[in-house]
Amino acid sequence: MSNTPDSTGQDDRYVIQPNGRPRPMSPHLQVWRWHVTMAASILFRVTIGAMSIAALLVVGWLAAVAFGPDAFACIGACFATPLGLFVGFGLTVVLFSFLLNGARHLINDTGAALTLKPANLLSNIAVWGPIPLAVLAFAALFATGRISL
Amino acid sequence: MSHPAKFRNGVKISERHGAGEWTLEKVCLAALMPLGVWVASTAFTLTGASYDTVVAWFASKLNAGLAIATTLIFFLFAALAWKVIVEDYIHKPGTKGLLVGLLNLVFFVLAAAGVFFIVRLALGSAPLPAGFGA
Repeated sequence: MSNTPDSTGQDDRYVIQPNGRPRPMSPHLQVWRWHVTMAASILFRVTIGAMSIAALLVVGWLAAVAFGPDAFACIGACFATPLGLFVGFGLTVVLFSFLLNGARHLINDTGAALTLKPANLLSNIAVWGPIPLAVLAFAALFATGRISL
Repeated sequence: MSHPAKFRNGVKISERHGAGEWTLEKVCLAALMPLGVWVASTAFTLTGASYDTVVAWFASKLNAGLAIATTLIFFLFAALAWKVIVEDYIHKPGTKGLLVGLLNLVFFVLAAAGVFFIVRLALGSAPLPAGFGA
């Protein structure tokens, strides 16, 4: 593994882009040393993937509402099962992750908070924040009787 | 490239339309921040709600309008974000183009379906299939 492109430009760290220039590879599990900023970056990609699945489920739920009371009762019964609640908790984590990590990404995109301390702080919030927020949201849902086991 | 490279603040300016797509993706993401908070509060309100409550919620023009905006902006963002992810890891032009095209198609269909359902609910239309395929 070298730090400069070889004659073909195709080594572990560089790829030839369509414009013919060698460019470093994107952050990838095997290429970069582990750090929380890297975890936040990877998790944002994972979150976008999970949000796409979540959006698919939301469109399915919209369809159920549009198809009338029977379909709505059916999908409601699915989400009221323990597995359904578990999926719902996962979707809640994903939504909070999208908000916190998206906010981190937008702040970093302006060129702000890219030095070590603020970058670590924002990344830690984006990586860990969704879990307590989702737990709080579900505690509130149980406390207000909107869901029950 | 036939054109000489142009620079602004010592940074090379995109030769093609990449910078425009990047900006559009960021504008979508920025719009999704307040809309995402609204989605979270809506999900909290509508969890465990009866069918009539949900239908009444969609009858509000503000709710329906925000739901349509969220749907369109989210799927536009998803299409752009997935394009970036695919372009980072798939380098074979044919496969890459096919995947990006396929994902665009999927997100377009989902956006269209979502807006279709929301509009029907907002207008108080009869439950589907409502004569379709009858």
